[in-house]
Amino acid sequence: MSVSKTGPSGFINSLEETLIALLLGLMTLITFANVIARFAFNSNILWALELTVFLFAWLVLLGAAYAVKTHSHLGVDAIVNTLGPGPRKVVALIAAGACLLFSLLLLKGAYDYWAVFADLPPTSGRWFPTGFDMKARSQSFYEVQDVPMIGAFRFLEDLINYGDSYEKLPKVVPYIVLPLSMLLLVFRFAQAALQVLRGDADRLVASHEVEDELDEARARATEGEK
Amino acid sequence: MDVIFLFAMVIGLMLIGVPIAVSLGLSSVLFLLIYSDSSLASVAGTLFEAFEGHFTLLAIPFFILASTFMSTGGVAQRIIRFSIACVGHFQGGLAIAGVFACMMFAALSGSSPATVVAIGSIVIAAMRQAGYTKEFAAGVICNAGTLGILIPPSIVMVVYAASVDVSVGRMFLAGIIPGLLAGLMLMVTIYVIARIKNMPKGKWAGWGEVGASFREAFWGLFLIVIIMVGIYGYPWFSAELGLYKEDAIFTPTEAAAVASVYAFFVATFVYRDMGPLAETEERPRRSVFQAPMALLSVWAHPDTKQALFDAGKLTVTLMFVIANALILKHVLTDEQVPQHIANAMLSAGFGPVMFLVVVNVILLIGGQFMEPSGLLVIVAPLVFPIAIELGIDPIHLGIIMVVNMEIGMITPPVGLNLFVTSGVAGMPMMAVVRAALPFLAVLFVFLIMVTYIPWLSTMIPNALMGPEIITN
Repeated sequence: MSVSKTGPSGFINSLEETLIALLLGLMTLITFANVIARFAFNSNILWALELTVFLFAWLVLLGAAYAVKTHSHLGVDAIVNTLGPGPRKVVALIAAGACLLFSLLLLKGAYDYWAVFADLPPTSGRWFPTGFDMKARSQSFYEVQDVPMIGAFRFLEDLINYGDSYEKLPKVVPYIVLPLSMLLLVFRFAQAALQVLRGDADRLVASHEVEDELDEARARATEGEK
Repeated sequence: MDVIFLFAMVIGLMLIGVPIAVSLGLSSVLFLLIYSDSSLASVAGTLFEAFEGHFTLLAIPFFILASTFMSTGGVAQRIIRFSIACVGHFQGGLAIAGVFACMMFAALSGSSPATVVAIGSIVIAAMRQAGYTKEFAAGVICNAGTLGILIPPSIVMVVYAASVDVSVGRMFLAGIIPGLLAGLMLMVTIYVIARIKNMPKGKWAGWGEVGASFREAFWGLFLIVIIMVGIYGYPWFSAELGLYKEDAIFTPTEAAAVASVYAFFVATFVYRDMGPLAETEERPRRSVFQAPMALLSVWAHPDTKQALFDAGKLTVTLMFVIANALILKHVLTDEQVPQHIANAMLSAGFGPVMFLVVVNVILLIGGQFMEPSGLLVIVAPLVFPIAIELGIDPIHLGIIMVVNMEIGMITPPVGLNLFVTSGVAGMPMMAVVRAALPFLAVLFVFLIMVTYIPWLSTMIPNALMGPEIITN
C-alpha cells in the first residue's frame, strides 16, 4: 500500500476517534440497559431503541468523514494497481472529483431536508442551489417519536417554534447530523483530492476491512523469516 | 436502457477507485436527478432512514464489537489449543485443527477476512514448523476462513435478512447444517490428502489436555450459547409441562449487544489479555482482587477505547456502503426493476434450476469485486421476487447467496480472502491461488449441494420455528 501509514495526529484526530468510540459505547450500553430493565424491573426504557438508532446514524455519518481522512473506505483497487504512476494519478483525480460531486450534491440535499425542521428556508434549484425558497412551509414543530425533550434544548422553543413547547425532542436536533456530516465529507474529500494532486496519496480506498491487521501480520511474518 | 446506464456507472466508478459507497450513492443520485422527479432532499432522507427504517441492521455494530473484544482477547490462541487437543493426532491433524479452529472462531466473529487473520497468523506458522508446506497451510486457512460468513452469527446474514425482510433468527439457524457440512467436507479432504502424501500427525495429548484446553476456551465459546439461547430460547423442564421449550429472551439486536458486553467482561476480567489487569512490561497479569480499582478504571482504559474505536471504524465503513446501497435499492424498487427482470426471466421460460444458476454466476462474479454486504443489499432485492415467484424458499435463497459470496472470496483473480491470506502467509498472490484450488473445488461441490438440496438449509429453522410463511 503506497498510502502513507503515518497516521494523522493531534487534537482533531483524537476528538474524532474518541467520538467514534463514545457513540458505539453509548449504543451498546443503552441497548444493554434496556435488556436489564426488562429483566430486573419488568419495564422497557421507551426511548432506548430510537435513541440508539440516532446514535447509530451519527456514528456512521460522522465516521464516514473520518474514514475519508484515513483512506479506509472500502473500494476496488485491482485496476488502479495495474496502472503506471501517471495514469494512476489521472484516475485518482477523476475519482476524487466524483467523490466531491457526490458530497456536494448530498450537502444540498441534506441541508434542504434539515432546514425545514429548523425553520430555515431550503434552497431552490434541482441540481445546484440557486437561492432560497422562502415559500417552503416550516416543519419546526416536527418531533421524534419517543425520545423526550430535555432542558438543554428548551431555547429552541422560542428560537424556531414560535414559543410553543416541545413534548418530545424536535427533529431538528438529531437530524442536524445530516448537513453537518455532509459538510465534513465535502471538506475531507477536498483534502483527499489535494493530497492526490500533490502526490501524497495515489488512491482514496482500502481494498478490504482488515488492512491494518494485515499489515501487522505481514510485519510479524517477515520478522519470523529473519 | 436507463437502468443499464445506472449499473454501468456504478461499475465504472468502482473500477477507477471511487469508494464503493460513493459509487453506489453518486450513481443513484445522478439517476434520480436525470430520470425522475425525486429531489436531493429525499435522497438525504433515504440516507438517514437507512438507520431508522432497518432496526435489524442495528445488530451489526454490536456483533462487530463483540468480535473485536474476542479478537483482541487472545481467544484465537485458546481455540486453536482446544482444536489441536481434539483432532491434532489424526494424520494431517494440524491442518484439520486449523479448519476446526476457523469454524469456532467464525462463530465468534462473523467475518471471513478477520477469521483468516486471527487463525491464519498463528496456524500457518505452526504448520510450517510441524513440517507442512507453506502452500498447503495457506490453501487450508484461506478456504476454511470463508466459513466466517456462513456459520452463525454472521453479519452478511443480518444484512440479507434486513434487505428482504426475513427473520434473522431463521437465517442463523439455517446456517448451522451448511456450516458444519462445509467444515466436515474440508476436513475429510485434508485427511485424504494427508494419507496420500503422508503428512505429519501430532501426538494425542490425552483427555486431560482436551478438558484443560476446553476450560480455557469455554469463556469465549460461551458467547455463542448466549446468542443462540437468547434468540431462540432453551429447553427447560417443569413439573406441569414436562420437557418444553422456553421462549426467546432477546431480539437478535439485543442478543448482539449483550454478547458484546459479555465479550468485554471476558476479555478484560477473565482472560485479562487487555485492559487494566493485563500483563505489562513491569508486572504480570493481575487478578481483580489485587487491583479492585480496575472495576472503575477499565471504563476509561486505552484498550477499551481502542477496541470500541476499531469496532466503530469497521462499522462505519461497512454501514456507509450499506446505507448507499439502500439508496440504490430505493431507485431500483421505484423503477420496478426487480419486476421487469422477473417478467423477462419468467417469460423466457427460466425454471428454478436455471434461475439459481444465473444467481450463482452473478454473485460469483460480483463477490470478487465487492464487499459481500454491499453486494447483497443490491442483489437480494433484485432476485428475491423472482425466487418467490418460482417457489424457492427465501431462507434457502439466503443461504445460497451467502455460500456464493464465500466462494467469490476465494475465486481468482481478486478474491478477498486470497489477498488476505497472501499477506498473512507472506506468499505471492498467484501461489495462494494455486494452493487454494483443490479446496475451492470442494467448496464448489458444496455450493451445488446447498443450491439443489434445500433441505440442508430449511430443516432446522422449519423444525424449530415452524414453516416459513411468505407474505407478499
